Amino acid sequence: MIAFDVQLQQGRFLLDVQWQSQARCLGICGPSGSGKSSLLEALAGWRTPRRLNLRLDAFSVPSAQIPPERRELGYVPQDGLLWPHLCVRENLALGCANPQLAQRTVAVLGIEALLERLPADLSGGERQRVALARAIARQPRALLLDEPLGALDAGLRRRILPYLARVGEEFRIPTLFVSHDPAEVLALCDEMVLLEAGRIVRGGPPAVLLREQDSVLGAFENIFHGEVVQADEGTALLQLAEGGQVSVAARGIQVGERVLFSIRSDEILVALERPTRISARNVLPAVVIAVVEEGNAGVRVDARLDEGRGALLSAVLSAAAVRELGLSAGAELYLIFKANSCRLFTSQP
Amino acid sequence: MLEILTTTLLVAGLAGCLAAPLGILLGYWMARSEFPGKSVVETLIALPLTLPPTAIGYLLLVLFSRGGLLGNWSPGFLFTWKAAVLSAAVMALPLVARTARAAFAEVDPRLELMGRSSGLGSLAVFQRITLPLARRGLLAACLLGFGRAMGEFGATVIVAGIIPGETETLSLAIFQEIQLGNSAGALQLVAIATLLSFLLVWTTERLLRRRASS
Repeated sequence: MIAFDVQLQQGRFLLDVQWQSQARCLGICGPSGSGKSSLLEALAGWRTPRRLNLRLDAFSVPSAQIPPERRELGYVPQDGLLWPHLCVRENLALGCANPQLAQRTVAVLGIEALLERLPADLSGGERQRVALARAIARQPRALLLDEPLGALDAGLRRRILPYLARVGEEFRIPTLFVSHDPAEVLALCDEMVLLEAGRIVRGGPPAVLLREQDSVLGAFENIFHGEVVQADEGTALLQLAEGGQVSVAARGIQVGERVLFSIRSDEILVALERPTRISARNVLPAVVIAVVEEGNAGVRVDARLDEGRGALLSAVLSAAAVRELGLSAGAELYLIFKANSCRLFTSQP
Repeated sequence: MLEILTTTLLVAGLAGCLAAPLGILLGYWMARSEFPGKSVVETLIALPLTLPPTAIGYLLLVLFSRGGLLGNWSPGFLFTWKAAVLSAAVMALPLVARTARAAFAEVDPRLELMGRSSGLGSLAVFQRITLPLARRGLLAACLLGFGRAMGEFGATVIVAGIIPGETETLSLAIFQEIQLGNSAGALQLVAIATLLSFLLVWTTERLLRRRASS
């Protein structure tokens, strides 16, 4: 369980948030200046709020007077904040509560070869992996991740995201995860809250909330865990965990590898009959679950693969197209997208 | 000559040993604390930099004279090597403190907070993170303090006089030689003082430059 109650005044800005969740990983989303980072800093003890109460199952931080060193929280800011005068091994050792856990963390995050290097000699992605390892090695009651991939370019983010997913599966540490990126939240979080101007305005499953919040966080991105079942030259066939198979453009990927796959909702086309002689590699039969008006953004069509039992994909279409096709819940259609439009998150370079 | 050089290095070294820890703590406190009236306190600490050294010397003389605030506590303190060390330390302290403050100010406070979030107490954070990160600037502060103590004249001559073998440092000896009309002796001492100062300033500059580049 993750439960918090924080009131923090910073000049004219007031952060006043309460939430209780059974999620292991709680996503915190919202526009810039909504108070996401301030919330994590208040929880970590880097700011002094008027009111603070954090509960993580049996453990609690009942007041703002508890100093950071007694909060037992692993905090990873956007820039990692590794100590520049210490090599990676020393960064991990300083404040480490459990050397065996540190060793395991090093293996899970794949940083064995970096141990003797100084932070200045690491790439952005390596730095963030070390910062994550340092936070976990402290054996924290919870992880506070403040846009840990925010400073990295898109390519690096794709490579680090599977590590974050692996950390979640391996260590099962309750996590508060601040992110701007819907793909990250969908991939990692069981639940999310949406912050606006220092208040939580909505909360719930990321797949539901993010489908409804296009205007705040950009076009909705369908994202799924999957496993490579076939890899040919330049393309790979993925079996999605929730059901259904998709083709993606990928090189150097191995059969059996577990990956994250995403496709933007505005890059999916819809047809009522199976098109022939078409260049797109994905022509997937699906059943419409819901058709939702989204104002200026158009109409969102939610459809499940595998005869209505598989992964749920959303496509954003124009209102005119939806009218013309006569789409409604229960309709059978084909979802069409190019293998090249898919994003693949893998730890391989 | 050797006696003068030894006295100078001993007095300046001991004065540096006094001024360094206190100056470093003051520098840390100035860099990290915020409270009303902080600028007044900082100005008071910096006063010896701008006050005539003779004024500081006179204040120390009054303080340690019989009937002064500290006179009964330390009888026989004036006109000894200890008085020379104290006056040099007082004059060096603001320079050490201000240089140390700049060194600490360059350490990102978030690195210290990260130390605390990693379970380290305030003292451990200071020892393991702050001090190592500020070390070059702090070493430069100590060297500058030592240099300032080595060149001290105005305050020292008032509280310690010019006693050969006990309080006669290079700067006092140069003054003495000039008073006696011994130009050659004075020039010889000036040459030694110049060499020592050059070495100090050169080392300090190198440290500060390496700090800036790192």
